[in-house]
Amino acid sequence: MLKKIKLSKYLSYLFLIVVSAIWVIPVLFGIVTSFRSQTEVVNEGFRLLPVNWIVENYVAILENTSSAPILQWLWNSVFIATLHTLLVVVVISITGYGYSRMKFKGRDFLFFTLLGISFFPNVVNLIPSYKIIDILGWVNTPWAMIVPGLAGMGNIFLVRQFMKGIPMELDESARVDGASDFTIYSKIILPLIRPVLIVCALFSFTGSWNDFLWPVIVYTDVDKMPVTAGLLLLQDIYGNYRMIGQLMGSAILAIIPTLLLFFFAQKYFVSAINLNSGIKG
Amino acid sequence: MNNKRNFAPIFFVGPHIILFIVFILIPSIYGIYASFTNWNLISDPVWVGLDNYKTILTDADSTFYAQFFNGLVNTLLFVVFTVPLMIIIPLMIAVALEHKEVKFTSLFQTLLYVPGLISISAAALIWSLIFNKQLGVVNNLFGSEHVWAATQPYAWLTIIVITVWAGIGGNMIIYRAGINGVSKDLYESAEIDGAGPVRKFFSITLPSIKFPLIYTMVMTTAGAFNVFAQPLMMTSGGPKQGTTVLMMYIRDLAFSHGESIAGIASAMAVLLGLVILVISAIQYYVMSRNAA
Repeated sequence: MLKKIKLSKYLSYLFLIVVSAIWVIPVLFGIVTSFRSQTEVVNEGFRLLPVNWIVENYVAILENTSSAPILQWLWNSVFIATLHTLLVVVVISITGYGYSRMKFKGRDFLFFTLLGISFFPNVVNLIPSYKIIDILGWVNTPWAMIVPGLAGMGNIFLVRQFMKGIPMELDESARVDGASDFTIYSKIILPLIRPVLIVCALFSFTGSWNDFLWPVIVYTDVDKMPVTAGLLLLQDIYGNYRMIGQLMGSAILAIIPTLLLFFFAQKYFVSAINLNSGIKG
Repeated sequence: MNNKRNFAPIFFVGPHIILFIVFILIPSIYGIYASFTNWNLISDPVWVGLDNYKTILTDADSTFYAQFFNGLVNTLLFVVFTVPLMIIIPLMIAVALEHKEVKFTSLFQTLLYVPGLISISAAALIWSLIFNKQLGVVNNLFGSEHVWAATQPYAWLTIIVITVWAGIGGNMIIYRAGINGVSKDLYESAEIDGAGPVRKFFSITLPSIKFPLIYTMVMTTAGAFNVFAQPLMMTSGGPKQGTTVLMMYIRDLAFSHGESIAGIASAMAVLLGLVILVISAIQYYVMSRNAA
């Protein structure tokens, strides 16, 4: 009996260590290679640590402001993801309030109709969405990535569910005291739904930061695109691995912001995923 | 007072309804409409009835026919290759992490979750170097002679590896929560009855997490059908369009530098959307029936 537990314990450790190593080594490999010179990589091949640590790759990346303006791309991504996230929080909290705490005719029918439509596969609306962005004059502007995602129903569904757990008596006693809906929303409900809003904000930020297909379609101007779309160009700009260090350095710079966010907010990420899948975590 | 009550909801749900109509409802309807037209994204679409669908589905001489079926087959291959791995691997990890004597679980979880936060284009740059013929790790370690991204089956292998590497974090956490929620008494009484770890897994763990399993299976599959970035960045769809997926053709037809062929692209998008809907429905039906 005891032996059995020991064996399964060691097998679990072995499996976890092997898998974790496979999962982490590529990231370390990218980081290490970004500090190696091209000649060293070519002559010495794969190494766990550089022979000489150099920062020239990063200097070169930052100095290239014409064909691969990575600081501009990072700034574009920060601007897009931050503003998108702030607007998501405003829209989903106000809309969630409407669908869960206000009474009006056909409220739930309306909500579930919109929810049902939103399950329709996105691929169908991709091409017309581009046309709409074009009509609005938003091609090659941040708005192309900031606004359309605000229409989604997933986060509103989560906020609505969360709000349903807050007793209606709170609203009613405030209303007796003469509070308007906006006061109840901003003074009572908003502070209470903070956990779910943080969760939605984190996912909106990382989702917006890592989005790939849509920015590749709506940005053609090198100076306007976010970093994910910019990296697609790099394979050509840094010449099919003739400038490996710069290629790796750019990739590393692009992933730092979301990783930092994760390390500061890890517990929210974990609870977020469980909330998204409808399981109480 | 009464008047205010009647109009207030409009201010709360109205703005989002406008966003919904402009960015989801209209584009979805227009996407279906456009599939019955000849459209170049600039001038007005011209109604052609079922012509696009006839060309794509039946005209064996047409490039669109060849593209659609090649793209669909490659997309299906991607789904078949990756979805089982993105269920089984995180499930095994979750079981190992929930083993009652295993420690450092949050460290392991962090290490395994982090790749999912890396944008696919950054990940592809790193992995392409790992798979690079002269300079990469794989050929150094294994002495392989092939240019992986341009030789089958290695081209698929590079795509599968990066997809699984970046795609297991979410499912892992969902399964952990599911397994964690299973009553400890069940396991204890099974142990008393002499059940081993394998037996416990199949008769207690799996049936207890059927809802998370259905959920992740449907979501992972639907997501996999939209595959685009991995083949674009790892293999450019090669060799000989052997890894070109349907989303790549749709994007090329609608948005490439020449004249846009958005009508045909829309028809392909509608067909892909239908495939996703049908497969999601079948999965949901079969799994919830078997689970009941």
